[in-house]
Amino acid sequence: MAAAVGREAAPPVADDGSRAARPLIALLRVGVAFLWIENAGWKTPPDFASLRKFTTYAVDYPVFAPFTWVVENLVLPHFAVFGWITLLLEASLGAFLLLGLATRLWALVGLGQTVAITLSVLNAPHEWEWSYYLMMLAHVALFATAAGRVFGLDGVLRPFWRSSSSRVAWLLARVS
Amino acid sequence: MRLTRADRAGRAALILGAAGIASPVFALSTSSNNNFVDVEGLALLVFPVLGAVAVLGVVLASRPVVLASGAGFVVAALVQLAQFGRSPNWLGGNGSTFSLLLALGTGLLVLCLTPSVPSTDETHREEPA
Repeated sequence: MAAAVGREAAPPVADDGSRAARPLIALLRVGVAFLWIENAGWKTPPDFASLRKFTTYAVDYPVFAPFTWVVENLVLPHFAVFGWITLLLEASLGAFLLLGLATRLWALVGLGQTVAITLSVLNAPHEWEWSYYLMMLAHVALFATAAGRVFGLDGVLRPFWRSSSSRVAWLLARVS
Repeated sequence: MRLTRADRAGRAALILGAAGIASPVFALSTSSNNNFVDVEGLALLVFPVLGAVAVLGVVLASRPVVLASGAGFVVAALVQLAQFGRSPNWLGGNGSTFSLLLALGTGLLVLCLTPSVPSTDETHREEPA
């Protein structure tokens, strides 16, 4: 998204002369964005039934005892609130990674959400643990390459953010 | 920030508008499970119309027109968020529809509301790690 626009902004890595590196970083970012966008589609209010089923796996097939306690005692009894938070978080992850806006921040958020998902379903039947490890690594790659600076809005807006004296602009420059 | 075809911000807005126009392509999915974004019903009209408004705004170098498009996408996103999983669902979508509407609206609004960027090109700057 915002393709040809971030072209001039130099990424911190992968600028060693490989013409493929920068568009492929953008491809990774957009691909991960669509992962979250598509999966926001089945978190359906008001009861979030499918999400509840997978969240319950944290109790039925525990991975990490403190996480299981949190799910059993805090999340499941207030599941509607948790469902809305999850929906808004994952839809925002998809939106901001697609734009390449505040990308490093959202890469960290995506990493955290992936850890939470992993701790819920890792030991459940028919799960392939490497799908979650690969999700974590994809977000690490987005963070490491500051992927929004390539073909993303971070690349377009960073010159303004870096020249502005406002605290918001300073913060956006740091998380982009 | 200037929003013309000659500016990076304008080209970004142009691409976001074009993405809106192209969004009905997701309706071509024949899978009930792997469709990336649920675009059907009234959303088949809302995405391309608002996208066309954004493109028109850049072509005319009119920030208010681009702003109107961005605001329209955000309003549509909020309507989708409030209605999906319920009846009526005017846009006929789900959380994925909300997410894409949010992306296009946020992107266009940020581009419209950011003051002008200095002419300095980041290519020649040292990036922080």
